Amino acid sequence: MNFEELQKNWQAQRPGAQVTINVEALLREVRRNQRSFGTTIFWRDAREVAACIFMTALFLTWGIQQREWSLDFLALCCLGVGIFFVADRVIQRRKQPAKNQSLQMCLEDSLREVRHQIWLLKNVFWWYLLPILVGIGTVVASKLWHQRHTELTALIGLAVFYVVFYGLVYWGVYWLNQRAFRKELEPRRLELEALLASLK
Amino acid sequence: MTAQEQETIFRQWLDAHLGLMLKIVRGCTAAPQDQEDLFQDVLLQVWSSIPAFRGEAKATTWIYRVAFNTALAWRRRERRRRERHETFLKFDVSPQSQPSHADTLPEQEIVEQLYAAIRQLPKVDTSLALMHLDGLSYSEMAEVLGISENYIGVKLNRTRKQLAEQLKGASDEL
Repeated sequence: MNFEELQKNWQAQRPGAQVTINVEALLREVRRNQRSFGTTIFWRDAREVAACIFMTALFLTWGIQQREWSLDFLALCCLGVGIFFVADRVIQRRKQPAKNQSLQMCLEDSLREVRHQIWLLKNVFWWYLLPILVGIGTVVASKLWHQRHTELTALIGLAVFYVVFYGLVYWGVYWLNQRAFRKELEPRRLELEALLASLK
Repeated sequence: MTAQEQETIFRQWLDAHLGLMLKIVRGCTAAPQDQEDLFQDVLLQVWSSIPAFRGEAKATTWIYRVAFNTALAWRRRERRRRERHETFLKFDVSPQSQPSHADTLPEQEIVEQLYAAIRQLPKVDTSLALMHLDGLSYSEMAEVLGISENYIGVKLNRTRKQLAEQLKGASDEL
């Protein structure tokens, strides 16, 4: 059998007849799905903004109540991280690829998105952990300074506790981010690069 | 574009190109559940792409692009069954359900073998093989994939050879 005969067989199949679609129900479903997608995105962003506002307001209020400038500084650090996060989300959404672009462009855009996600996770220390660490460090340093007249061993104990506690929390957050990068994003990047290479 | 216009186009495309979408889905996935899941994704993506459709491209080219892009992004391990509020799809793609106009059993078998062979190809070649079998021109294929017509020729040669390898016995000379 030559290719033309194969093609003829292929084109003679009527796969559409294997599917029965209730168009009215499908239309209701796609509309519902679209609404639900929009709602999911909205609430995801709203959650992040709300968390940022909450943390900022919380530390700011404490700072004002306790007349403690380091808490105000921590609030500012939280606000900075939140602004970076939201701004990045907005910029990335504007770069969202169109659904109808060519396969090559679609792959390039997907690769760009994955690389950006990888960049965010690989640099999570610089844009997320470090600013908040600086804020927390300032609060801890200020607390220790206020207690400088207490016994030296107690002071050292407190300092060690803070270092160990925040060290563990930070290590956990960093490890989770790097794991997501290694397990999910890196394989996806390699897959997309291979697909793109097969088009070139 | 109004919601009414979007709906009209969607209905027209379903009438005219449902088979095309299904061929792509069957060419990209093997298990019936995966096919159903991907098919739903393709339908949803086609629906949401319609407001951007200005009629500058042919509807078939548009649908190929949206469906291939969806299939590429779709991954089995991330597959999540859509929570459906109502059933809109009755899906049966078993070979026995394949209706035919004068199709004889060997011809059905050849088509099934072709699907199996296409699924063995690298993802990009899968899209090329599907379009080639559907009789798209080089320029249409180039438009869908975003590569030059010359390169389409080169890739097609390779894809046809790979298909012939897969179909040894069913076809002697591709």
